[in-house]
Amino acid sequence: MNNQEVEVEEGRTLLDAARALSIEIPTLCHHRAVPPAGACRICVVEVKGGGRPGLVPACAYPAQEGLVIETDTERVLASRQMTLRLLLARCPDSEVLKELAERYNAEPLPLEQKDDKCIMCGLCVRVCREVIGPSATCFTGRGADRTVSTPYKMLSDVCIGCGACAFLCPTGAIDPAEFCTHPLEKIPNEFNCGQDFRTPIHVPFPQAVPNKPVIDKDNCIHFKTGKCGACKSICPAGAIDYDMEDETVEEKVGAIIVATGYEMIDPAVYEEYGYRRYPDVLTSMEFERMVSASGATDGRLLRPSNGKPPKSVVFLQCIGSREEKIGKPYSSKICCMYTAKHAVLYKHKVHDGQAFIFYMDIRSAGKNYEEFVRRVVKEKNVTYLRGRVAKVYPRGDKLVVRGADTLSGGQVEISAEMVVLAPAMIPSSGVRELAQTLRIGYDEHGFLSEAHPKLKPVETNTAGVFLAGACHSPKDIPDSVAQASAAAGKALGLVSHEQLTREPTIGVVNEQTCNGCFECKNVCAYGAIERKELRDRKGQLLAIVAHINEGLCQGCGACSVTCRSKSIEVQGFREDQLFAEINAVSR
Amino acid sequence: MPALLLADEIGARRGGRDRCDRSDDYSVASAGRHGRFRCSVLIAVLGVVVLLIVFGIGGGTQKKRKLKAIQTGGPSGGCIPESLIDLPVDYEQLTQSGAMMGSGGLIVMDERTCMVDVARYFLSLLVDESCGKCTPCREGLFQMHEILNRIVEGEGREGDIELLEQLAAYVKDSSLCMLGGTAPNPVLSTLRHFRHEYEAHIKEKKCPAGVCKALVQFRIAAGDCKGCGLCKKNCPSNAIAGEKKEPHSIDASECVKCGVCYEECPFDAVKAG
Repeated sequence: MNNQEVEVEEGRTLLDAARALSIEIPTLCHHRAVPPAGACRICVVEVKGGGRPGLVPACAYPAQEGLVIETDTERVLASRQMTLRLLLARCPDSEVLKELAERYNAEPLPLEQKDDKCIMCGLCVRVCREVIGPSATCFTGRGADRTVSTPYKMLSDVCIGCGACAFLCPTGAIDPAEFCTHPLEKIPNEFNCGQDFRTPIHVPFPQAVPNKPVIDKDNCIHFKTGKCGACKSICPAGAIDYDMEDETVEEKVGAIIVATGYEMIDPAVYEEYGYRRYPDVLTSMEFERMVSASGATDGRLLRPSNGKPPKSVVFLQCIGSREEKIGKPYSSKICCMYTAKHAVLYKHKVHDGQAFIFYMDIRSAGKNYEEFVRRVVKEKNVTYLRGRVAKVYPRGDKLVVRGADTLSGGQVEISAEMVVLAPAMIPSSGVRELAQTLRIGYDEHGFLSEAHPKLKPVETNTAGVFLAGACHSPKDIPDSVAQASAAAGKALGLVSHEQLTREPTIGVVNEQTCNGCFECKNVCAYGAIERKELRDRKGQLLAIVAHINEGLCQGCGACSVTCRSKSIEVQGFREDQLFAEINAVSR
Repeated sequence: MPALLLADEIGARRGGRDRCDRSDDYSVASAGRHGRFRCSVLIAVLGVVVLLIVFGIGGGTQKKRKLKAIQTGGPSGGCIPESLIDLPVDYEQLTQSGAMMGSGGLIVMDERTCMVDVARYFLSLLVDESCGKCTPCREGLFQMHEILNRIVEGEGREGDIELLEQLAAYVKDSSLCMLGGTAPNPVLSTLRHFRHEYEAHIKEKKCPAGVCKALVQFRIAAGDCKGCGLCKKNCPSNAIAGEKKEPHSIDASECVKCGVCYEECPFDAVKAG
């Protein structure tokens, strides 16, 4: 091919051979998931020897011994250009066709124009018939009147709503919602805050670990109906196994680091800001996902109401933070800095846009943080207004933000095309139950309790359980990483010795007097009481008594106080020792 | 039948060639205006010269009109102009001149056949036959047909002939099957041998054969008209007036250009212009 030798497997096509040589051949009606059709003719190449001379479709023509192929002759180019011109005459608005026409210099000719979207590639028909199975769409009519439709152009009984046809269609011409008789549920992409949709088999987000797709069984058509199975048939590694079950893994560990992160409150609880009532009111997380290049709009900031970039954005800080009535009394720490960042990102994307930030105080206490905020005010022309916002309401197709500007002493009304709220940070849901399982403490907000705020910021009162990140208190990335390093260091310090070193003030059970009532076990906050079997030399069971795990016991003495037979004493605080102290003091 | 015997004798004399040493059926039909064929089915052996088939066996053209062209091989075949009439009916010879053997059909066309209209008609048959799977045949033939429609209706544009040639070459080269591969033949062969007719339709907006309704006006030449009244009797829209033995005339506003008078006049007094 093109004067280069190439060998491919039996049964492969000229297109496979070209790809092996990195020779580019355009395709439209070809897709690796479905058998080839050779219908669009854009992939034609010229057979120069070893077969009947002429133009053949690379996607369908089998590679054979001794074939001599040229992929870029005048004849090939002329044919490709005409194919593109004819398809564009049929579908003048197709971006895919326009791009290809530009690439191959297919200037328009005075051809009769139609107004179609379908280029008759047949990918939808083939995938539904060969891969998915139901064959819901087909070609109807013939010649220039050929169309893709359901039999008799009626609603389909067999379409399962998998959307494979729409996925493969190069021009977006087919919409299964038009003929599928059951509602097509689109699954909102959780990572992108529901701004776009995902498929049941998906990689949750680009940085997921492991970075492999996972099947959402509740929404997967194969698991719901037994059909489809497209993913398994297309996977070149054969990696998909529908029979895999969830596994429960049990591991014995010496240390646990809790890093369960955070969530944000739902700002809809503040009805005056109109979240979920007006489409252009977003949370900071939704804004963050929209401006991300891996987000729903590829990083373009667009108003949800009309899909256009907003000319003015108003950021509201402290939504639910530092507010005692229905919110959280604490400061969420991260919002001042990320709002400044968002304002800068906005100005980068919309150069002539106006950004306003309503704040109470600016908390910029990290390294270079204050300098950054200063730059945002001075160089990026972001307007900071010190005051609370009373209300966000619509006027025409914009939103009006009415708030106070305490530094100038008046009320302001700003016409905004987008409003971004900074909601308070809260611990992840379910953290209280986890804390109870791990026997660690938490405060009234659910933030996990450290053993000592100054001296033991990453340890809990339970030996071996450590904390890191926002589950402990609101903090940003540098602080989370620092705390995580500290927790890892502490955990490693714990498990890296051959023997565990600990304070000697732990409880000890007198096994002669213990009667095995295990009241102590009920009161031990650290799960340090275990059952121990006492056996004689013959192995016969004599008694079951309490045993205190030296690693877990924290020496609180609750068991000692509870024990009705006075069988437990805390070393260093034995009764005789305590009486000796009292005697010495009261002499 | 004498015709058969004649054919056998000629075949025996010619002896047949490498590729063509077997009998081949060949049917002959005589066509004046398209759509009205007088068929005579005869059997001729390969190698017989076209001239012989048409005039010797077929009996010549209708009303002894001037022979213009022969169409061989059905709608996907091509035409041979009168100048090549001494061509033997043979696979290679026909293909070289742009026609083809096809299924062995042969249509005789006289001077009253418009070659542009013939191309358009055959193309419309092929457009109907197209399955529509590949882009060249489905879209290319459709576009060619649109262009030919415009030409016969008097809306041909500068560049249409070049566009037809470009499309025809593309459809022939890139189609998936031989339907598309041979569909441009009527257009290509009529363009090759009768380009002047296309040019007349486009540039002068005239149909030399007097067929394309939008481009033709019928009038009676008083000098030739004998007043026999045959045209008047057959005119479906009563557009002809005239007394017996007096020259008749056609009222252009009533004339629907059916061409019956043109066809029937025994004295060729009706002119198409």
